[in-house]
Amino acid sequence: MSRIGRSINHAWRVFATGLVFVLFGLGALLISLTVFPLLRLSTSRADEARRRIQRAMQRTFRGYIELMRVLGVMTYELHGIERLREPGRLIVANHPTLIDVVMLVSLIPEVDCIVKRGLWRNPFLRWPVIWASYIPNSEGEELIERCAATLRRGHSLLVFPEGTRTVPGRPMRMQRGAAHIALAADAPILPVTIDCDPPTLFKGNPWYRVPERPFHMKVIVGEPVPSSQFRREGEAPTRAARRLTQWLLAYYGANENGHPVEDQKRTNSAASTVPIAPAVS
Amino acid sequence: MSVNVKSREEILEYLREVLVELFEVKPEQVVPEANLYEDLDIDSIDAVDLILKLKELTGRKIQPQQFKHVRTINDVIEAIQSVMAESPAA
Repeated sequence: MSRIGRSINHAWRVFATGLVFVLFGLGALLISLTVFPLLRLSTSRADEARRRIQRAMQRTFRGYIELMRVLGVMTYELHGIERLREPGRLIVANHPTLIDVVMLVSLIPEVDCIVKRGLWRNPFLRWPVIWASYIPNSEGEELIERCAATLRRGHSLLVFPEGTRTVPGRPMRMQRGAAHIALAADAPILPVTIDCDPPTLFKGNPWYRVPERPFHMKVIVGEPVPSSQFRREGEAPTRAARRLTQWLLAYYGANENGHPVEDQKRTNSAASTVPIAPAVS
Repeated sequence: MSVNVKSREEILEYLREVLVELFEVKPEQVVPEANLYEDLDIDSIDAVDLILKLKELTGRKIQPQQFKHVRTINDVIEAIQSVMAESPAA
């Protein structure tokens, strides 16, 4: 591409990215006021409404991802995503970008998510999050118990164990909440690796600073791991949570201090250092 | 269970054993000025397990409110002492 061609392409992607963000905001508002209330009224059963609304959420997010692809903002590839359809699993993922949740929800027909509890005070969004039976990010025991309860009912739950987006160049920090949830519900863990190249929409990177070329997102779904394998007979459960969290850190290619195992750009090959490697289909 | 008033040293020693068992901290890390979250990597969920475990020592459950402002090992010792002071030996 010529220099002029490159700068036109760059300007286009800044515009397109901004457009997608605006459409996302307006779309969320519009759908919350129309589609979701209609879906809620379409059935008298709360669990059926939840299912329909979560499916509508998937299609909407699918639309945003396709829009970004068509507009030339991004490309993507998916591996092993059929495993995301199995219910009752704790789906965990690393969190390199702002759109990870959009990408993952677009791939899972029904999944519970933890969302900002502030939304329960938002006049437009409070009802959709209630109808979708999303979980407010309360603290400690209460949050763990709500998450474990939904898994026990056979729903899948999406969690980013880091708690926030990864800061590039900083050690990966893993909260133990995901481990506590999996152990409390005795649910299998389904690890998902997200790779974004070149890095964009990471923490501290404004949306208009688009990368030098359209970013490529790779989603690799690993094999499910029973959480019971982290328990040991006659041992305090708090230790199992630590062991599981260490395993997650190793899975995502960081050692116990959160630093990358190999001094290289984080790649999916790092996961192969862990006994249970993600299957790439 | 006997609820004799225990000295700070006895409580610290007990706490050291419990923290090593529950959270795999190193015994030498358990000093009065150590911060639970920053120095010992004990989070709010761990604290729930810790409170349950401490019941074995105090003979009664420490209320979460009593534990709310606990930041350091020293704070834990004081919380234990105050619980034991309000539940005289039966």
